[in-house]
Order: sequence, then structure tokens, then C-alpha cells
Amino acid sequence: MLVAWRYRKRENSLIQKFDPRAWLIFYACFLFATLAFWDVRFLLPLWLLAMFVLLTSGVTWREIRRPFLFMTWFVLFFAFLTFLTGRGGSEHYAEEHLIRQFRAPFSIFGWVPTLNITVERAFFAVSQMVRVSSLVIMTVLIPYSLDPAVYGITFKGLGMPDKFAYAMDLTMRFVPTFGRDFQLTMDAQRARGYELEKIRGGLIEQVRKMGPIFVPVTIHAIIASEDIIDAMDLRAFGVGPRTWMDVLERDFKDRLLIWFGIAILAGSILLQLFGYGNFWIPEALIRWAGG
Amino acid sequence: MNKSLLAMVITLVVVFAVVAIGVYVIDPNLEFPMDRASVPLRLLFVAIGLLIAFAVYYSTKENSAWEVGTRQVVWMAIGAALYAIFSFVFNGTVFFVPSVSQVALRPAIAIPMFFGYAFGPVVGFFTGAVGNMFGDALTGFGLSPQWSIGNGLIGFISGLWMLFKNRRQSINTILWVSGVLAALAVVLFFMNRDVINGLYFEDTQPVSLFAGLTIVIGFLLVLGVRFFFGSNENVAAAVTWSMLGNILGLLFAALSDIWINGFTLAATIVGQFLPAAGPNLIFAAILVPLLVVAYSAVQRQSGR
Repeated sequence: MLVAWRYRKRENSLIQKFDPRAWLIFYACFLFATLAFWDVRFLLPLWLLAMFVLLTSGVTWREIRRPFLFMTWFVLFFAFLTFLTGRGGSEHYAEEHLIRQFRAPFSIFGWVPTLNITVERAFFAVSQMVRVSSLVIMTVLIPYSLDPAVYGITFKGLGMPDKFAYAMDLTMRFVPTFGRDFQLTMDAQRARGYELEKIRGGLIEQVRKMGPIFVPVTIHAIIASEDIIDAMDLRAFGVGPRTWMDVLERDFKDRLLIWFGIAILAGSILLQLFGYGNFWIPEALIRWAGG
Repeated sequence: MNKSLLAMVITLVVVFAVVAIGVYVIDPNLEFPMDRASVPLRLLFVAIGLLIAFAVYYSTKENSAWEVGTRQVVWMAIGAALYAIFSFVFNGTVFFVPSVSQVALRPAIAIPMFFGYAFGPVVGFFTGAVGNMFGDALTGFGLSPQWSIGNGLIGFISGLWMLFKNRRQSINTILWVSGVLAALAVVLFFMNRDVINGLYFEDTQPVSLFAGLTIVIGFLLVLGVRFFFGSNENVAAAVTWSMLGNILGLLFAALSDIWINGFTLAATIVGQFLPAAGPNLIFAAILVPLLVVAYSAVQRQSGR
């Protein structure tokens, strides 16, 4: 049984007033523009834009609460890990101003666990939090605001061949279904005493023990696909050029949104080429750390 | 190429041309700053990855491996959705799969390997590329399109065995090629022991001996599976082609970071490629055979 995303038509939604193709193009431009920056001063306007889209989307807190809280936890957790470890930061700063260092009194295969807390790591975590939360806000909105009935025609309208557009359509529909199947399989295996959270043993043993989750979920999905394949074959899928039930029409405001997205992308590339938007730390913080 | 796609490609080219002209107008003496052009370079490497796949297709387009019918469309969707879900669950959001001495485990990679092997290169490519993109979107990691293409190439290459008439002979050739590539990467590791591990949370620490040698462990496991299942050609072909797909796909993505992120060859091979490709080979050697055996049983039962 297919499980659907929680889409519904919203009268007061700004996103839903646009053609989905225009919206996805804008989303792609926004993603790439955000990826161009690590400087909070450049990331904040993009974050504010994402917040504006969220607040005008018509999606209620009640609807979005669960994924939003989960994503917020995720963003905060990874920002905290970045703060502790400096993950990814070494590509963006050469020098670090140490606040405190903790060193483990043991080594594992020659590796000594060390914890350095520096100004750069702390501010990099802040930058990462702003950057990732902008992406998360925009991404979470897609399943809530894009009508599943127009997935296929949207991807077709973005230039994909019929079969690939339909594959994209099915992929988006299958994600929540397989998420549910994964949870069911986990619960079933837990009832048999299998606990993924407590996998122990060496590297190879850990990998082997993932089999009871991977194999049933994957094989069940393949077996269930036979019904979908039969249904599609019975409707002569792929025999000739495909027609679509819905027709998408682009008007002035959609073109405006597309060009706005392109302008953001082009502007971000231009700024990046001239050396703006790299990781930035307020001078006052460096002075505070004794730099 | 249809009208919409052509319009998008032309728009992108125009945007980059406008940016280039803008740069020239503002500062005619500015040399093209490779280290500050990550967005165009990411898109360029996506195009290169797609061109590689297209070149292989074009040179063998008469082969039945390239047929895309109803079954392939559904399998593409299933593969991509499964890869996205497993990536979401295992790549650090829901479950932290325990890491051993800097080796972070990403078991989801077995999905594009298996789908590529079982259903062909087109299904494998779609599974890897689209699944990785959806997985990144679900986890909020953002977008690394060149790594998505690298994941696509893993599935793509895993399915290329279908182009060979003599599968057994292809397996042995693949073992040699993969062995040489793995050995070269390990030599580079021993020549650059101070390179930091770019994939581990504590990325100020050099790649540990264990993380640097996981590719050898993985290769030996694949070799063991290949000979242990000598009579089961399906399993032997699946693990060896998955191994080559994993090595070449991740090599493509890692090498692209030389230009995109300004890494040195040693930094990207030792710091990124080895910690990712090594553990992936362990999944190729253990999870892929489990999936192949289970799928063979389903095929026997259903007769399809």
C-alpha cells in the first residue's frame, strides 16, 4: 500500500500560486546560491528568504511540527558536532585560536582522540547552522506544497524524457512508502530480539548484522513492484509518447520567479568569483581569544 | 534533446556567459579563480560524469543492457527511493552506525551496487544519482551534485557486466584492474601519512592506519567471496563489478574535488577516497551477495 506525503491544496500559500516547474527551478537556484557561501553575512539574507517562503507557504505548525523538529534537532546536533570537532572547517581556515584542548590518554590503531575547542570551530558551526537550516527549510516544504498528481508532468516539463520523468514521479511517491516499510521491518525484527541500536562486534560482523534489515526491505520492495509493473503494462506504459492528465501553464509571475532565482544564482557566482562569501569570523571574537 | 531541456541548458550557458562578461567588465585583469568557482565547477563535473556515462552508452548502444521498459522505470524508482531512505536512516541521522578507528560505515551504498548489477547500468545510474540526491535532501546535507554523479557511476559500472559476452573472463579482468587501483591508492596513503581524514568528524586527525588499509581489507574480502562462491557466478560477478563501480565512481567524485575544493591529489585520494571506498568494499563483499542470493530465490519462485 502506498503512503503519501501530506500534501493539500492551501488557499493562502504563496508557493502554490506558482507553477511547480518554476518553483523547482527557483529551489535549485537557491540551493546552489547557498552552497556558494560560508560567510554568515551572505547566508543570513538567504536564510531570511527561506523563512519568508516558509511563513507564506500556508503550511501550519501542526502539519510540519514533526519533520521540522526532527530537522532542527539534526541541524543543531551537527552544528554541535562541528563546534566540538571542526568537521569540514579545515578547508576554510588555516589558523585556529584555541580556547581549550582535551586529549584522550589512549590511542586506537595509532589515532589519539583529541578535542580542540577554538573560535574558528565555534563560528564555523554557526555558519553551518545558518547554511544548512536555509536548505532544510526550503527542502521540507516541497512534499507539503507540491501536488503528487503533477510530479510526473513537472519533471517532464523540466526537460526529462517521459520514462525518466515517470521514474522521478514514482521515486518521490515511494520514499514515504519505503520509510514506512523500513519502520515495520525494524519493528518486526525487534520483536525477534534484533536491535539495530545495539549492533556489536568487529567491522565485518557489524556489516553482516545489517542483513536482517537490508534484505527484507529491499526484496519486499522488488516483489511488490511486480504489481505496479503489471498495472503499468496493462495501461500500455511506454508503448507510445505519453500523455498527461494535467496541463501546466507558465505565466508572468512564474517567469519572474525563475528569473529571480537565476539572478540570485548568477549574483552568488559573481560574488564568489570576486572572493566574497568565504568563511568569515568577527575580528572581536579573534581578539577575545587572544589572536 | 527536447525543447524544455534545451531551453534550460541555453539559460544556464547564457547565465554563465553573463557572469563571465560581468567579471571581465568589472576587472579585465582578473585571472579565472579556480578556487572561487565551486558552483560552475560542480555543474561542469556533473556534465563530465554524464558525458562519461553517455559515451559508454553511445559506443555500445545496440546492446540490450540499455533498454528502458516498464520494469526498468519501476526498478529505477524503487532503487532511488530505497537508497534515499537507507541513506537517511544510516548516514548519521537516525542511527549512528558505530565507527571503528575513523571508519564511518555507510551501508546504503549496497543498494546502487545491487540494483546496477541486477537490473542494468541505467537503473544503477539512476538509483545512485537520484537516490543520493534525495538522501542528501532528506538529511539536510545540502547538495553535492558531483558526488551524486559519482554515486550514479557506482551503480552504472556495477551493471556494465551486461555488455560482456564472457562474464567469467570479465570478472577476472575486473579483479586485476581493481587490485591495481586499490594498490596505487594504498601506496599514495603510505607516501602521505599526514593527510587528514576529510570524512570523519574529527577531521584534524591524519587518516589512521586502519582507515587507510580498509580498501585492502575490502579487496581481500571481495577476492574471498569471488573464489568462495566460485560456482555461483552471479555472486562473483556482483561483488567484483560492484567493487570496480565503487572504486571508479568515488575516484571520479574525489578527483573532482581537486578543482572544486582545491585539494591536492594526495589529500583527495588519501583523505576522501580511501576512507569512503574502503568501507564500501566491505559492504560490496557482504551485503551485495546477501541481496543477490535473496533476489535469485525470488526469481526462481516467481519465474520472472
